[in-house]
Amino acid sequence: MMDVFNWDGTVSAKDFRIGALSFAQKWESLNSAFPPWSWVPCPKHPWLASPELFQEEGYLSLENICISRPYEVDIDQNSQTDPGEEETSCSEKEDDIDDATLVQSNHHELHYCDFHIVYSYTFRVPVLYLRAYCSDGRPLLLDEIEKELPACSSKESPETKWAFITQEEHPYLKRPWYKLHPCGTSEFMKLLFLGGDTGQPKLEVVLELYLLSWFSAVGQVVGLRIPCKMLNDRR
Amino acid sequence: MAAESPTSVRKVVVHLRATGDAPILKQAKFKIPGTDKFAKVIDFLRRQLHRDTLFVYVNSAFSPNPDELVIDLYNNFGFDGKLVVNYACSMILTSYFHTSKGISLVVF
Repeated sequence: MMDVFNWDGTVSAKDFRIGALSFAQKWESLNSAFPPWSWVPCPKHPWLASPELFQEEGYLSLENICISRPYEVDIDQNSQTDPGEEETSCSEKEDDIDDATLVQSNHHELHYCDFHIVYSYTFRVPVLYLRAYCSDGRPLLLDEIEKELPACSSKESPETKWAFITQEEHPYLKRPWYKLHPCGTSEFMKLLFLGGDTGQPKLEVVLELYLLSWFSAVGQVVGLRIPCKMLNDRR
Repeated sequence: MAAESPTSVRKVVVHLRATGDAPILKQAKFKIPGTDKFAKVIDFLRRQLHRDTLFVYVNSAFSPNPDELVIDLYNNFGFDGKLVVNYACSMILTSYFHTSKGISLVVF
């Protein structure tokens, strides 16, 4: 049995599946801001009778997530507000946008995104696939997606573009999706688990938490947030 | 409701820890109000290291979202009176980015 010192940052397909189901369960109970992930099975050889050969592959799916950022409506764009007439009843400093008062301007279409977490047999790590579209179903191009997602907000310098997002055929759906390329995953997964100063974890713990830790990093790129209490909920 | 006085805002001790190839900071420990977002820690690191791209994580194999409050991170992952924040520079990860498109990494 391999110990954690030799761990290369990857997981087996079986551990991916176990981890994915556990991740989906935790997400459902502790991340109610979002709808739950579903496991979509993709039987490789459904015609084979033998159960040993019947490997259940599959992926996690989270679909129809609205990624459009709310815009403030300029009710009257042309008139200038007299500063003297401004409401001064709100004395608190408002750092965050009050969602209750934001309305989608009808000039802006809503954009949605489907996210799939798929296992890569080549890299032996999970891979995030995504596909974005308008409410009328028109697929969004990468530069349109980039505008919506937090990693590409205007605060970031122009150099921080998505270097590692590529368009590829979805391994199960056989349609073009975008994916976050997995080749650096094993490196940052090793860092996540072995880079801290609290001593080396047990390998079983690593495998159990793998999807969760992976997603804490990758999810930020696409604006899917894991609340920290999800990580702390350990059996 | 009375305004909070500065002394009533709980501060969290943060210890920044270099991992991998990352440079070690001269000032690696500081206090930050618990009500601040983790984004402030990340921005501080970026300015100190003069790098836009960092990989930042806490000891429990978790990369915190920048919107998390420091006090929540401390409550969940703090130990021994402080929150240890590990950081690594993109050098570990850029080797493969350079082989792809040669554009710099997006911040995690």
